[in-house]
Amino acid sequence: METPPSVISRRDFLAKSAAAGAGAGLVLGMPSILRAAEVSPSKTLNVALIGHGKQGEVLFDAMRNIPGLHFQAVCDIWDEHRNAGIGRIRSLQKHTPKGYEDIDEMLATEKGLDAAVIATPDFWHSPHTVKALEAGLNVYCEKMMSNTIDGARAMVKAMEKTGKLCQIGHQRRSNPRYRYTLDQLINGNKICGQIINVNGQWNRAIKSSQNIAYNPKKVVKPDILSKYGFKDMHQFMNWRFFRDLSGGAISDLGAHQIDIFNWFLGTVPKSVFATGGNSYFKDREHFDNVMALFDYDTPQGQVRAFYQVLTTTSAGGGYFESFMGTEGTINISEQSAYTNIFKEASRAPKDPNAPPDKNEPPLSWDTLVMRGYLGRKAAPAAPPPPEANGGGAIKAYASKPPEGFTLPGELNKPPHQPHLENFFASVRGEAKLNCDARHAFLSEAPIYWVNPSALSKQPIVFTPEQLSV
Amino acid sequence: MTTESTECCKSTESKECCKSCPPCDLGLCYGALLLRVWLAVRAIQTGVEKYAGFVGSDQPVTIDGKVNSYGLTAADPVKEYAMNHYHGVPEALMTKFTKEPIMMQMKWALPLYDKVLGPALLILGLMILFGFLTRTSLFLLGLLYISLTWGLILIKEDSGVAWLGIHMIMIVMALMLSKHNRLCLLKKW
Repeated sequence: METPPSVISRRDFLAKSAAAGAGAGLVLGMPSILRAAEVSPSKTLNVALIGHGKQGEVLFDAMRNIPGLHFQAVCDIWDEHRNAGIGRIRSLQKHTPKGYEDIDEMLATEKGLDAAVIATPDFWHSPHTVKALEAGLNVYCEKMMSNTIDGARAMVKAMEKTGKLCQIGHQRRSNPRYRYTLDQLINGNKICGQIINVNGQWNRAIKSSQNIAYNPKKVVKPDILSKYGFKDMHQFMNWRFFRDLSGGAISDLGAHQIDIFNWFLGTVPKSVFATGGNSYFKDREHFDNVMALFDYDTPQGQVRAFYQVLTTTSAGGGYFESFMGTEGTINISEQSAYTNIFKEASRAPKDPNAPPDKNEPPLSWDTLVMRGYLGRKAAPAAPPPPEANGGGAIKAYASKPPEGFTLPGELNKPPHQPHLENFFASVRGEAKLNCDARHAFLSEAPIYWVNPSALSKQPIVFTPEQLSV
Repeated sequence: MTTESTECCKSTESKECCKSCPPCDLGLCYGALLLRVWLAVRAIQTGVEKYAGFVGSDQPVTIDGKVNSYGLTAADPVKEYAMNHYHGVPEALMTKFTKEPIMMQMKWALPLYDKVLGPALLILGLMILFGFLTRTSLFLLGLLYISLTWGLILIKEDSGVAWLGIHMIMIVMALMLSKHNRLCLLKKW
């Protein structure tokens, strides 16, 4: 297939990135290289909702409070979802949008659409995004970009060929708490010092991982299911468990968090070694638990990252990403309850004759608290005396408990709202996308290799071809 | 407001009337009033809290003397009262109730009860506070607490059952003292 002139080829891209002096590192952190769409800032944007299941509803609820949107059409193959979407829109804007089962019919019929918000199953993301971009719409598409890396590549190419905007739903990239943490705490004030390890997890209870049930009286007709690639209603409701339709738990849950690893470290891993299995849900195609190790070379040095996704246990701290450094650790999560910042207490005293350390925090933690960069948590409980838990031998190895701190503020909106606001502001030319398809691809590409590594039980050292469009 | 018994006692026209009136024991009158007010406040504030919810603060955070540009807002959520926060049966209990076989047989009952509970507490609380049909409103409040007790028995919340039992004792005491009821809008019933 001939590469369109506007598409940056893999070699050009890597060469340009390297020439910029930072390879994928800076690229992951850079704002969109795409121009903003030519839409008047004051214009009401006409939006089509493509896919209105559970995630579609989440996105719609996040868009309710964004001014200047007009929901013009809803497309979903299931009339239950479609009609629910129509009802929600009617109650919000006192206008009944048109409903469609077929995206082609919708794109051919509806005139004046500015944007599409896509929340269909993963294996439909790429075809739907490409169709919408080629129809002249700007697209917000849920992550994972696709169930296959080639599907994701097609999305990047379509975005760059059409010149339209395509934001991928890694919503943490627009979350003020995450942006603040990266800009001010990790890069600005270097509170972690040198980051040596990263740890992330999503531990989900069995109860939350069950098959999604449905009312047998309200089903999608078999011919429609078949037309759209579903074997039956069970597969339609539980597409996340099937290899041809989704990337499984590492894609559903892990992609959000591994994206944060790459974004915060400013680069992509050089290898992955994963393991996983159907240890509990034995009838599912995808693994119900996956553990992956990533190796990074960052400007600060080597970083090793561990990620686990469990669908059988919720204990162990829920879901967060932890950046562990010589000076401090930041556990960040969309949930405030899982967000914690710790100052290392037992670092060796600095040698006064040592040369300046580029990773040393410029301000003391007390100064950061005083100036409002951090909040302080209540002092941790004193550990029991050594006699109480095995004697002095343990004391010799134990570290003093680290002092706890908090972020200075919160997000007072639904977690997806800032990312959608960024998308619509970009469509109006008032902002640049925080996670366009190309940047999303760079971050997602390593994730596509986790399942192959786990299946083959072999580490994969990435080649440029594996991580490029 | 009327003070029917007091006026009756003061009357010199009808000795029969005075015979039918209870003795004017100030302590019992205060007791009846305190019990009535306690039960009213308990019901009213519980009803009001059904309309309470927490929303994220809009107050931007100041960092290094400047309002932050990230959109971070004050961490503490703000409590507010609004119709759209209404929740008759708390969500945690609602989840438990929906799983009960009895409730599955009467799917219409729980949403109806959820809608009625808050307004019922408010109305009955206000009636008791102002002494409007005091005995009847106390009786209805007792029935409402029995319905809550039944729900808590269903989901094995024994401490809640005991706690409501104390409320029932207080209602019965208020009814027993109702003949000493003063300061009421409508003493009849």
